[in-house]
Amino acid sequence: MKSPSIDGVKTWAGRGLSLFGLLFLLFFWTGASFSQPPHHVRTKVRFWHMWTAEWKDVVDKIVKRYNDSQDVYEVEALSVPSAGADSKFILGVLGGDPPDVMAQWNPIIPPWAEGHLLRPLDELMTPAEKADFDRQAYPVVKKMGTYKGKLYGMSIGMNMFGLYYLPDHLKEAGLDPSKPPQTLEELDAMGKKLDKFDANGNLTRLGWLPTNYMIFAAVFGGGFYDWNGERLTMDTPENLRALQYISDSNKALGFGNVQRFNSGLDTQSSAGGWPFIGGAYSFIVDGAWRVEQIAKYAPQLHYETCPIPPPKGGKPLAGFSSGNFMVVPTSAKEPKGAWDFIKFWSGLENPNVAAEFYTWGGWLPLTPAIAQSPIYQAYLHKFPQFKTFVDLMPSENETVLPPVPFQTFFNDHIGTTEESVTHGTLTATQALRGFAKTVNAEANRRKELGYDR
Amino acid sequence: MTSPVYVGGANYRALLTDDPLFWKSLTITLKYAVVAVPLGVIAGVILALLLNCNVKGIAVYRTVLFLPSIVPAVASSVVFVWILNPQIGLVNGVLKSMGVIGPSWLSDTKWAFWSLVFMSLWGVGGSMVIYLAGLKDVPVYLYEAAVIDGANAFTRMRRITLPMLTPVIFFNLVMGMIGAFQYFTQAFIMTNGGPEESTTFYALYLFNRAWRYADMGYASAMAWILFFVVVVITALLFRTQKKWVHYGG
Repeated sequence: MKSPSIDGVKTWAGRGLSLFGLLFLLFFWTGASFSQPPHHVRTKVRFWHMWTAEWKDVVDKIVKRYNDSQDVYEVEALSVPSAGADSKFILGVLGGDPPDVMAQWNPIIPPWAEGHLLRPLDELMTPAEKADFDRQAYPVVKKMGTYKGKLYGMSIGMNMFGLYYLPDHLKEAGLDPSKPPQTLEELDAMGKKLDKFDANGNLTRLGWLPTNYMIFAAVFGGGFYDWNGERLTMDTPENLRALQYISDSNKALGFGNVQRFNSGLDTQSSAGGWPFIGGAYSFIVDGAWRVEQIAKYAPQLHYETCPIPPPKGGKPLAGFSSGNFMVVPTSAKEPKGAWDFIKFWSGLENPNVAAEFYTWGGWLPLTPAIAQSPIYQAYLHKFPQFKTFVDLMPSENETVLPPVPFQTFFNDHIGTTEESVTHGTLTATQALRGFAKTVNAEANRRKELGYDR
Repeated sequence: MTSPVYVGGANYRALLTDDPLFWKSLTITLKYAVVAVPLGVIAGVILALLLNCNVKGIAVYRTVLFLPSIVPAVASSVVFVWILNPQIGLVNGVLKSMGVIGPSWLSDTKWAFWSLVFMSLWGVGGSMVIYLAGLKDVPVYLYEAAVIDGANAFTRMRRITLPMLTPVIFFNLVMGMIGAFQYFTQAFIMTNGGPEESTTFYALYLFNRAWRYADMGYASAMAWILFFVVVVITALLFRTQKKWVHYGG
């Protein structure tokens, strides 16, 4: 008589063996199918970016379009959380395992170029490509991508800031919605009529409030860099006027009142939660990408855009621009593949093909050739509000962050300076002087230490 | 990155003499360590004492109070951004029901720091469990002897429970102090050092110097100073333990 326990062991052993055999077959079957790529000799190009959610889908579509377009390279995209992207990139370069190409925000270009983390794109471009780029690219694109005479970043999506407004609010306040303000003074007067308060005097709707000091410094005819003299310009009368204007505007509404109103809004949301969509603001300065977001999340919203009107003595079509730039790390293993992908996406290779990518993301192009392509023109026809931003691209009055190796430091301190006047902690004069002192101290320290070549 | 270049004490000199934000961030961090750590100890001990009672459903209470401490800091930070929203947040909602108009917690320079201190109590469950274990370790015969001698509950607490708990309090105090000097995640997510640098903790400033400004030499100097400060404070705490920590054995 057989022992039941031995029978049981045999049964389980038999089942185990069958399962193992099945897994073995499955492994080789799937392995065989995975080991046969559609293109036998393609070289992998590692691409990192920081887009998530709906933007990641756009990036994946562009990458797929590139991979389908040729047989030499295969781009593998990886979305890296933006909070850790900088450190991941730097560690990757230092550790000898960086991506071949990364999409980054423009302020990293000077510090990373200075730190030998980036490879000049001039080395990867043919003389004809470089000449084409120099001839075609908008001035702001060249300014942002260039550091100490070398091109380190190629724009794949620029951004400009303009004025968004809700015509229905204007109509309701007895203003003519077909006539946007032509001067900053007019805008101020309209804003006052559009503000709304509750019974306790708390703001419930903001008619108009200036934000972003970089933009208003340019609008007032100032700016933070003298491109001819190649030096920083901070404590200037124009910059002071701009900061004073921001300070006065907040003071008029009440520092605490504005703070309370703004902090109660979802200003962090990158998607449909933008307070303008919900009618929290009548006029607001924001970036070109909002047009695409409104189309996605609030297609019925009736809104218009126009350039930020200049004050008396200011500059028209002025503002501040930023962008997404492709950079190639110094230790990239496939720099040629990286450059090929950059050319494809940016539109340097074929503006008509790339124009579609720009419309998918609601991005501004780097050359007029892309803007004039039929696909892009069709997009502008569909979203006439976007044209405001495209028209700003060639403007000489558009400013960018100064090309200094401590650009991120500079940018952070601009923000703190603005915050100190919007909270009413410092006067505009105190804040601007403090800012200039901090930035000069940093520049001098770096100079003394021989940091900046 | 360029190869390291020897610059002597230049970075230390710049930090100590020419960088107001260095001193500001150090002050903020010290203030946090001095306020939030003792507050955490007090809250942890009180909760542990309450949860040491023999009442029905005590395991549930213990679990509920411990749970927040295992929520990742990033997730709890995002939740607290909403809880502290001045218009639609829970805190101001409760205050409003009592007729009090709450401030803009995270965007007001007067309140942002204290909001983070308040939030630190959210994770007190971790140390509470250690205190609870410490309470369970107090020999019962000490209480029996005290009862026979006529000691009331307050005296037993003061003369037996707290002294016997001091090794655990000391452990949590040292770990809490070290943790306070590394305080980063919540400030990074909830305020990013603002408003007006009022929550720029030392570790956050160090991170910005290293990874945002690619200024590794300066950040390394800051890291050495942090190490030195932590060592000194830990040593000071160890020196004081002779006076107030009682090891039962």
